[in-house]
Amino acid sequence: MIEAHELTKRYGGKTAVHTLSFTIAPGTVTGFLGPNGAGKSTTMRLIMGLDRPTSGTVTVNGKPYGQHRSPLREVGALLDAKAVHPGRSARSHLRTMAATHNIKTSRVSEVIEMTGLAGAASKRVGGFSLGMSQRLGIAAALLGDPRTLILDEPVNGLDPEGVQWVRQLVRDLAAEGRTVFLSSHLMSEMSQTADQLLVIGRGRIIAAGSVQQVIDSVAGGAVRVRSPHAGELAAALATDGVTITSPEAGMLEVSGTTAEHVGEVAFHHGLLLCELSPRRASLEEAYMNLTQDAVEYRSEPTTARSAPAQKGQNR
Amino acid sequence: MSTLTAEPPMTSPTANLPAATQVHPTFAGVMRGEWIKLLSLRSTWWALASTAAVITLVALAAAMSLSAMTDDPTLAPGIEQMHGAEVIAGGFHFGMPTIAVLGALLITGEYATGMIRSTFAAVPTRIPVLGAKALTLVVLTAAVTLVSATLSYFVTMPQLSQYDLVPALDDPGTWRVFGGTLYSLIAAALFSLGIGTLLRSTAASVTVALTVLLLLPGTLSFISLDWVETIVSYLPLPASSALLTTGAAGTQGAYLSTQASLIVMAAYAVVPIAVAAVTLHRRDA
Repeated sequence: MIEAHELTKRYGGKTAVHTLSFTIAPGTVTGFLGPNGAGKSTTMRLIMGLDRPTSGTVTVNGKPYGQHRSPLREVGALLDAKAVHPGRSARSHLRTMAATHNIKTSRVSEVIEMTGLAGAASKRVGGFSLGMSQRLGIAAALLGDPRTLILDEPVNGLDPEGVQWVRQLVRDLAAEGRTVFLSSHLMSEMSQTADQLLVIGRGRIIAAGSVQQVIDSVAGGAVRVRSPHAGELAAALATDGVTITSPEAGMLEVSGTTAEHVGEVAFHHGLLLCELSPRRASLEEAYMNLTQDAVEYRSEPTTARSAPAQKGQNR
Repeated sequence: MSTLTAEPPMTSPTANLPAATQVHPTFAGVMRGEWIKLLSLRSTWWALASTAAVITLVALAAAMSLSAMTDDPTLAPGIEQMHGAEVIAGGFHFGMPTIAVLGALLITGEYATGMIRSTFAAVPTRIPVLGAKALTLVVLTAAVTLVSATLSYFVTMPQLSQYDLVPALDDPGTWRVFGGTLYSLIAAALFSLGIGTLLRSTAASVTVALTVLLLLPGTLSFISLDWVETIVSYLPLPASSALLTTGAAGTQGAYLSTQASLIVMAAYAVVPIAVAAVTLHRRDA
């Protein structure tokens, strides 16, 4: 359980995180989604007590992280896979952390096995690929068998097998009742891994809820209709709040209503339908729409920013 | 308030670890962690080996230059007043840079690599980490000084015996010099650790530490203003010189008394670390 209340962090004049309030529930995988620089890593550092909030509070399992008697038992974190001394072996790195908590060396071997690092454990970390470093970071996070896991971009740099493994691992950990909080900007990855989403842009939360809720809240639902009587159907459907476009002859995209309603109208008017399909927006589209708003909120009229904004409007 | 809710499953984490009562940070554990950190890096061994080597070689050079001194009529009488232990400890200044670099790297290495975040995640109270680093550094400095002094003692013996200067191990003067050397090296190491904790950057810390420890006394000695000379006498190297002699010949000039030397060197060791400890808790890692 992670609870943030009005969490704010300013670095000099720049506000990295602005009055964040959220609760991350145990037993779920919660995805933390946002563009680069949105404040994901800052939020995670604040949770871990590495940076001090300018104002507001954040607690893990009921207490500020630093006040736990056994911090590594409460939270395991992977914040930066490359934040390891390159001259040390993977095993030594894990042993330094284990020693502080009087965790046995056998547990170090265990997490090395679990993360598939057995063959490289005695090699110096400096020579590790990003994928290997990620595995080491995850091993370090698992070391204390924590109730809460915080993983910053854990699949970054992993091969497909590794991505699959992380996905399964976090699902299993959540199924055991643990709290799993992981950030990513890989939206497709989130839709397959996370149950819940917290979307952040420019340091503020812009959406929260289950993956489907977030998608629905943004993209609404459009209905795709194919009919030889497209023109008549469009006329019959045209009421307030319904927008109809025709991407090609005999096809309509109807938004602002449900597939059931379209079917009903067609039936009443005796119009033949060849296709009637509710079109779900993808998480990717939802994300683009959401973060486009966040970018607009920033109101910096630069040419680089206008490109995604236009993309969003086209949807 | 955006709340993400889900029914938490009733299964508890299947822990294959002892309960939290047994697995938690202790100072002994933090110490062990620091030990593993140090000994698992090759750079530590390089720093220690080069410290011992440099100290020993300079002591040997000092001993060998005794014959040159006897040839020089102006210097020859000086040998009479010399204590063998002073010759053996003659390499101490040259061990200072590597010890200082080691002291600074102990913490700046963690900031440079980002390791500090893993360290502080494991020990969020932070101060025990600094305490453990300081203690580890003291032990390590003591060990390398002991090894260096022993090596220096034996390699200089052939030369020293020619002048009857081999220091007697039952002579308090011998232990005074060796003790003073150890004390000063430990103070220099802790000073660097404190500076490193405050500045965080390896380059900046090593520069500051070596400037204060070694560079300033030499450069400022060209200025013969009274107040500059007073400042110089309080810099670590001149301040420690009273501790590196048997006391018979070494108290002349602008040097501090033994007692003042002990206090000044202790201040160099303690003050930066104390300030660093206060700020360590407040600053973002």
